[in-house]
Amino acid sequence: MKSRIRKREQDPDITRRSLILLFVAFGAFALLLGRLYWLQVVESDRYRDLSENNRLRLRTVRAPRGLILDRKGRAIAETQGSFDLVCSPVDVKNLESEIDLLSEIVEFDVEDSEVIDKIRRAKRTNPYSGITVARDLRFEQVSVIEFNRENLPGFSVLVEAKRSYPYGTAFAHVLGYVGEASPEEIEQSEDDSLEMGDLVGKYGLERLMDGELRGVNGGRKVEVDAAGRDQRLVEEVPSEAGGAVHTSLDADLQVTAQEALGNRAGAVIALAPRTGEVLAFYSGPSFDPNMFTRGIRKAEWQALSSDPRKPMQNKGLQGTYAPGSTIKPFLALAALEAKVQEKGKTVLCTGSYRLGNRVFRCWKEKGHGVVDMYRAIVQSCDVYFYTLGLKVGPDPLAKLEKDAGLGTITGVDLPGERKGLVPDTEWKRTVSKSRWNDYESVLLGIGQGAIHLTPLGMTVGYAALGTGGEVMRPSIVSKVIGKDGKIRTFAPETLRKLPWVQENVEFIRKALAGVVNDYGTGGGAKLPGIVVGGKTGTAQVASVKGKMIKSEDLPYEIRDHAWFVAFAPADDPQIVVAAMVEHGGHGGSAAAPIVKAVMQEFFRTRTVGPPRKEGA
Amino acid sequence: MSRPSKWARMEWPLLINALALCAIGFLNVYSGTRVHGVPGTALVTKQLIWILLGVGAFFAVFLLSDGFIEETANGFFIAVLLLLVVVLLAGKVRGGAQRWIAIGAFNFQPSEFAKIAVTFALARYFSGTYRYGGVGMREVFPAIGLVLVPFLLVALQPDLGSAGVFLFILAGMSVVACVRWKVLAVFAGSAAAAVPLLWFFMKEYQRQRVLTFLNPELDPLGAGYHVIQSKIAVGSGGIIGKGYLQGTQGSLRFLPEQHTDFAFAVFSEEWGFLGSVLLLALFLLLVYRLFFLTARSQDRFASFACGGIAVFFLTHIAINLAMVCGLFPVVGIPLPFVSYGGSSMLTGMMALGAVANLSRSRFTFQGGGGKGRGIDS
Repeated sequence: MKSRIRKREQDPDITRRSLILLFVAFGAFALLLGRLYWLQVVESDRYRDLSENNRLRLRTVRAPRGLILDRKGRAIAETQGSFDLVCSPVDVKNLESEIDLLSEIVEFDVEDSEVIDKIRRAKRTNPYSGITVARDLRFEQVSVIEFNRENLPGFSVLVEAKRSYPYGTAFAHVLGYVGEASPEEIEQSEDDSLEMGDLVGKYGLERLMDGELRGVNGGRKVEVDAAGRDQRLVEEVPSEAGGAVHTSLDADLQVTAQEALGNRAGAVIALAPRTGEVLAFYSGPSFDPNMFTRGIRKAEWQALSSDPRKPMQNKGLQGTYAPGSTIKPFLALAALEAKVQEKGKTVLCTGSYRLGNRVFRCWKEKGHGVVDMYRAIVQSCDVYFYTLGLKVGPDPLAKLEKDAGLGTITGVDLPGERKGLVPDTEWKRTVSKSRWNDYESVLLGIGQGAIHLTPLGMTVGYAALGTGGEVMRPSIVSKVIGKDGKIRTFAPETLRKLPWVQENVEFIRKALAGVVNDYGTGGGAKLPGIVVGGKTGTAQVASVKGKMIKSEDLPYEIRDHAWFVAFAPADDPQIVVAAMVEHGGHGGSAAAPIVKAVMQEFFRTRTVGPPRKEGA
Repeated sequence: MSRPSKWARMEWPLLINALALCAIGFLNVYSGTRVHGVPGTALVTKQLIWILLGVGAFFAVFLLSDGFIEETANGFFIAVLLLLVVVLLAGKVRGGAQRWIAIGAFNFQPSEFAKIAVTFALARYFSGTYRYGGVGMREVFPAIGLVLVPFLLVALQPDLGSAGVFLFILAGMSVVACVRWKVLAVFAGSAAAAVPLLWFFMKEYQRQRVLTFLNPELDPLGAGYHVIQSKIAVGSGGIIGKGYLQGTQGSLRFLPEQHTDFAFAVFSEEWGFLGSVLLLALFLLLVYRLFFLTARSQDRFASFACGGIAVFFLTHIAINLAMVCGLFPVVGIPLPFVSYGGSSMLTGMMALGAVANLSRSRFTFQGGGGKGRGIDS
């Protein structure tokens, strides 16, 4: 039992050993104290900054883009709320797996790999920015994402302003579209507030009026938790909505124009001749600008840009075409103004015209017989205008055409307008470096040869015929209500007043009315109760040797372009409409019905007084 | 032979010290968990229940008759070993490790209790081997064997942190039990040599932790995240702290395990350097008192058990705080009385109760035979 006696009185060994351990404890605590002093006193400011960065996020509140309205106050471009999936790169934990999960729920704006690249890049360069990866989510998608919140740190669904075009494809070329500002655009912009992710106008009115339409972004300083969720609003600067742009466009007319052109390629333009207001401006084939709002995918873009019919081109503004017979009224007027030929002077049309050893055919093989100027316009006799073209010569004709607006920049408020070409001897000398040939004058008589014009230029020219020589700048924007509430209105702008002899112009108008109403080539545009005056045009794309072949029987690419340009009522026009159908065949059959449809819609709501005395 | 009653010999300073820490822990658990939408009873309510149960456990152990702890030490040890086997076979898996046994709504970690059981078993063993001039090499081997069994069982869960605590307890108690310095040096040397070997036994996530401990910026959003966020929490507290319930790192959930292992990060963010110093002082006082009682106990078993428990607390406190401050790899070791958790609370209180029980012996008259295990003849 002795060995079991373990009592002692404070064994000095054990006491000493305990003290040693106590000193170890003191050492450990001293080390911890030193560490705490380092973290909490010496380095405290740095860690405080880090914790602020942890918890505070500056979120941009994007300003809603301003409205674009038609002449009756209907929104043709508006801003709506949209559920967008936004990524805060700094909060993303495992990018690949989160993208994997998300790709099962939503369709990204771009391919998965591009999304990953974009976020990865932002993580390095701008980790606190917000990157929109998918737009306009459906409610089910939003709820699935919210349900998977824990597995998706760094992603959140925000209600963002979405640009929306209620008329879809109808106004595409006029309104244009918006897209995220590119780094270059941000750098070059005069507006310092433009930042990544902001939408800017890329085309059409959206681009031209971008400064007015774009609002001023606001900001929200929010506290977020570790999963990047907003917890508390710390500070807020509200955004300022963009200004409203009122236009002269008429949505009903625009839709009618689109429907009338249908699937064909071409342009339909309607103007109010006295003011230059553009009432409708359609180019086909069109595209849906809403596609750009939600972010266009590569495949869609490729389909658009590789389409041989060029849907992205505004054909009314950027397409140039030989005018064909639509040029004839200008030549007739030039002859009258220069007094080189009386209206009553007759020409015998035998079906062809010979100059030297060249033979120029009339569209009517058998010939028109004896025609005066009126008949020649009404019947669109080529032989008459071959002789007239030669008689007037290129320079007086070119001057009159340019004065009227053909082959010039009309100055419409849309970006990217092209001029086309009205040839004269000066042009021939400087560009082709050769002498003017007489046969060119002959061809000019029927709007073939070097001449090519935009449908808009043509429309402006016919508007000048309608007003008797007052050339108006075509305009779309009528009024801007700025961000600051200030209203700016744009009055009609007269470009030129031409000293045309009114009697001559009235004769031309009468002849054009004859085209439609007096058994002419434009009978397809005849309207009950209203006298329409217009001119057909069938512009050759390729010369076909030998026998006359109906354009409809040719392959699409070499079919003729079909024109019809008209105004109504012929004695005091309220509207000018031009329709140009690419490879459409004959102007009278392909283009005239389009003009008729637009005019019918235009006059549906307008009453027209009795025609003036001197009218038809 | 008259002795003062048990209550008269009660170790009040220890309990009061522990309750002060519990109070801080309780407030801190509220701050750390109030934003959590945990269903069921609020964690702060549960913590209050644990504290009350803990105080009960303290007195239950304190009131055990003299000598009971020593006598039952081996049985307790074997029972805990069995529990550890059960955990390995049928425990709950959480975060890749099998550490929990569920009883009703409560989960508990047998590895926590194992730390105390090992302490008592070692104390009992060493109290038999003690001799003047120091304990030799041969007597240390059985002690190592004694620790190795629970060590392996816990390491297999795998919970290297808790397993490591066994080694610290063994080392600390070897010092208190007067194992010769030379022998200790040999073991320390061979342990140091074994560290590289350990690398091969670690699981991938454990290696990651060690690597990211050495360089947290390796993976700031992955394995290094805990350390970085924890340091930000502590550092951003500054001298006076952000104020109670004003901490952002904790309430916005940047901190991992903010109410358990990283409770100190929440505390020091809100109370700053001054609060941290106060908490450190309370812990130092606790450890000091335990070593004081180690030295003062008149019974070798009591001395060694107290020493073991002192080392147990010291290890927990030092490793947990070092981990939160980024001085130690992330391991699952709670801060006694402050971290949320029932097993940790009960173990701590039971350990202190045992110390209070055992330290009654210092009031016993020498040679009086006043030990509970019967008066000699």
